[in-house]
Amino acid sequence: MTLEITHVSRSFGGVRAVQDVSLRVRPGQIIGLIGPNGAGKSSMVNLITGVLRLDTGSICVDGRDVSADTIVGVSRAGVSRTFQNVRLLRDSTVLENVALGLTREDRSSTLRCLLGLPSARRELRSIDEQAMRILDQVGMTAYAHHIASALAYGHQRRVEIARAIAVEPKYILLDEPVAGMNDVEAAELGELLKALAAKGIGILLIEHNMAFVHSLCSHIYVLNTGNMLAEGTPAAISAHPAVIAAYLGA
Amino acid sequence: MDLLAAYQPLLDLFLISAGFALSQYVVLRAGVFSIATAGLVSIGSYLAAILMTTYGVSIWLAAPAATLVGLAFGLLLSIPLARLRGPYQAIATLAFVQIMLALALYAEPLTGGAVGINNIPKQVSTLGLLFCVALTLYVLGSINRTRPGRIFDALRQDEGVAGSLGISIAFHHTLAFALSGAIAGLFGALQAGYIYSIVPHQYGFALVAGTLAAVILGGRRSIWGPVVGAAIMTVLPELARPLADNRLLLIGLLLVVMIVFLPQGVVDGLLQLRRRRRGQLEATSKATPTTTGGMRA
Repeated sequence: MTLEITHVSRSFGGVRAVQDVSLRVRPGQIIGLIGPNGAGKSSMVNLITGVLRLDTGSICVDGRDVSADTIVGVSRAGVSRTFQNVRLLRDSTVLENVALGLTREDRSSTLRCLLGLPSARRELRSIDEQAMRILDQVGMTAYAHHIASALAYGHQRRVEIARAIAVEPKYILLDEPVAGMNDVEAAELGELLKALAAKGIGILLIEHNMAFVHSLCSHIYVLNTGNMLAEGTPAAISAHPAVIAAYLGA
Repeated sequence: MDLLAAYQPLLDLFLISAGFALSQYVVLRAGVFSIATAGLVSIGSYLAAILMTTYGVSIWLAAPAATLVGLAFGLLLSIPLARLRGPYQAIATLAFVQIMLALALYAEPLTGGAVGINNIPKQVSTLGLLFCVALTLYVLGSINRTRPGRIFDALRQDEGVAGSLGISIAFHHTLAFALSGAIAGLFGALQAGYIYSIVPHQYGFALVAGTLAAVILGGRRSIWGPVVGAAIMTVLPELARPLADNRLLLIGLLLVVMIVFLPQGVVDGLLQLRRRRRGQLEATSKATPTTTGGMRA
């Protein structure tokens, strides 16, 4: 039971965005992935979630190879994500955004939906009720009927995280989740992530906020110019000379 | 009653246009930039016209047959178009419209060529058109109130996000194409059964532009968008009639003004405004001074 990334590489023309990177996330773990800008962190997220194709290497979700899967396939295998630049459905409400994560595809019920049968409408109401419960978890129920694009940036982050949770994933990849949040909000998000990990969800946290990463992660990987520079416990990473030179700058 | 009789042809024209616009709306709503409706309408029209004139089939059978054939063509079209996006889809579907137009022109033994098919028995009444528009609105309204409607909205706004949530993009695009084809086939048949005569040039660029304009004017989200858009596109030329030669210029100008100031369309623009106000009112009534609650584990 692991999200296992093995010897993954990807180039764009002559630029090697990711080179021979391996990492592992187990259920219930919060793993950090850090590195300076341009290190290849977001490329890694895009490779894991099927947005980008691998040149070499493999990605397995609980033993199932998803290296050749599309984003849909990877998601259905149990991997959910947030984006570096928040990507909400801008014209939809907060509730609709989160409910989309719960809107499981069921082709057999398409005819019921076309005919407008009461059971199809009940299904949507039930989805909305679940979405409200998830919004409650991230403290956004008051904004349920707001248009997503009208929210402040930090609130949009919360909604995106709520949507990622709604999919009920085995693993979540969070791309700079506390960007735009104040310290109190970041601390609250930290508690939420701990609770999700306690439920057995594996979390890969890509983040620049070192204090946040150190407070949550049991293990940290450091990328630099597409290569794995170091890995280890937060304490070991803090003391790693190459990391200090390349990233922490102290 | 005299007033109704005087405007009945305009009402009928509006109802047929609304049907075409609803066919165009389904694909745009699902984020597919297809403009194949004119081609699909021509398939429905010619099929119904041939069935009615050559085989003496009633509109009651011709219209369902055209609906099914339109649906089948919609499904077929979705296969090659699944790999295309945005303007490439538009160009490919425009090519489809041109192919249908060429077929109508050159398959003379079947379609009558440039002369078209004449003496089609008029079997479509205003009531029949009203029923079909209402039926289409019911089906599309049902979609809007259930899961596929939410998914169409997501695909239109950001299909990458929908995909990352495990939603099949290909299946829902195919569904939209099939619905669009079925509606176009149905209203193509109704048009044939209403106007006595069909010729190829009815299904060319003018129909593509008019149908697209109706949806852009009305809106792509609410089912009432294309209906309102079709009403504007039907009434506007009549209102501008006194301007004679400058009529097209005026219509063009009005379209530009409306697109600039109401880019989401008349209906969607107003609904969006209402949604924003509702959201603000709810937040004002519920929110604490910090406006959000804390996150809870």
